[in-house]
Amino acid sequence: MPIIDYKNVLKGLEVREAMRRQVIHLAEAASLAQAISYTIKYKVNAILIINDRQEGLGVVSKTDLMGAYYAGLPLSTPGGAVMGGPPLFCQADDSLDSALDAMRAHQVHRLYVRGDAPRRALGVLAYPDIVGLLYRYCFKCERSRRSSSGSHEPMPDRFQIREVMSPTIYAHQESDSLQTVIEGLAAYRFGAVLITTADGLPLGVVSKTDLIMAYKHGMAAEATARTIMSSPVQAVDGSAPLVSALKTMIFGDVHRLFVYQKAPQTLVGVLSLSDVARFRSGTCRACLVSRIKI
Amino acid sequence: MGLTARHVMQTRFYTLRPDTLISAAVQVFQQASQEQQTVLGMMVTDESGRLVGMLSMYDIFLLLRPKHIHIWGEMQDLEVGGILEAACRRAKSMRVGDIMTTEVITITPDTHLLLVIDIMIKKHVRRLPVLEDGKLLGIVYLSGVFNHLLELLA
Repeated sequence: MPIIDYKNVLKGLEVREAMRRQVIHLAEAASLAQAISYTIKYKVNAILIINDRQEGLGVVSKTDLMGAYYAGLPLSTPGGAVMGGPPLFCQADDSLDSALDAMRAHQVHRLYVRGDAPRRALGVLAYPDIVGLLYRYCFKCERSRRSSSGSHEPMPDRFQIREVMSPTIYAHQESDSLQTVIEGLAAYRFGAVLITTADGLPLGVVSKTDLIMAYKHGMAAEATARTIMSSPVQAVDGSAPLVSALKTMIFGDVHRLFVYQKAPQTLVGVLSLSDVARFRSGTCRACLVSRIKI
Repeated sequence: MGLTARHVMQTRFYTLRPDTLISAAVQVFQQASQEQQTVLGMMVTDESGRLVGMLSMYDIFLLLRPKHIHIWGEMQDLEVGGILEAACRRAKSMRVGDIMTTEVITITPDTHLLLVIDIMIKKHVRRLPVLEDGKLLGIVYLSGVFNHLLELLA
């Protein structure tokens, strides 16, 4: 499909405008326990592993840490033993479009930004950074729904949650082992899974973060999902305005909500923060970047 | 030997335990700040008094900062009154051990003051625990070093 540049609100923007300059990194010999602590403390999904010349060797993601838990590796295992890599780099003056293309092509959620020396990271660009920038620029774009109304007043939230949500819900039962949950999360590439009773009633949620915390606290991987799930399920009514879900996410510091229809026990979908941001930005659907999928 | 960490370290100090709730830890910060100078970082020890980490103001800031602030921070049309209070409520139930810094740079009582300054500059740290044979003796604050130097410089 040809790219029509004038319909790309991010045209002309460079990586430097969206990247973060704080690169969370650890030495190759740092333990998995340290890697888990860093992901929790800095609220990141991956840690860059570097050598003693500060060069990026690989990346340890929450998925890798979850895999180490599954494999029964001791927490003292060096992060370098489970890292994926090598890390993918871009440059600060690359276009955001090309960075997005690279992420799509390699199916990764982040690129490290190369400094003067090869393989040394001076920043990191993640998908959510681009979504944030997208909101800013779409808000001002003359083709956006906001501007087309001729008003700069806040746009009424015309969307309902159910119009934006994803209808796919992946669930496990409360009696399933953490190992089984890990297998499911790894196979379907979800960040979290719904936990239900044997009858299918929603009970809680187990995320990758919950799993790696269980790993760090020494919980056996044979334990049941029920023992570590966060409960109750954070869910919103599908017929409610999108902004209400956004506020729930912001105030709860979560990026995912389950959606119910009529009764809280009847879950019908999942809503992500990036989906909300894209729909609420005023983005016209013809714009290339409006199709960013997180 | 000259001036060393021994001359500027605080030997009266509070410590925290890894399983202390953040809500209790900040009360210790407040108490320490009332009795001494404003305390912005505190040592964490285990049951045997062994140093296992440091909890700083920066660690608590990291805890309070929402994960996706770079997305909703752009949404200036969104009313977010009360969000800081919500973040504080969430943070209260976390434990010190979950957010403390575990890679702590330490010095000995005999570390020269110029070396202490060098470490503080290079490593961007404002406080250094003082250990002797693994035993915690005190803590050197950036302000303590500076106040001591003021007397020499004046």
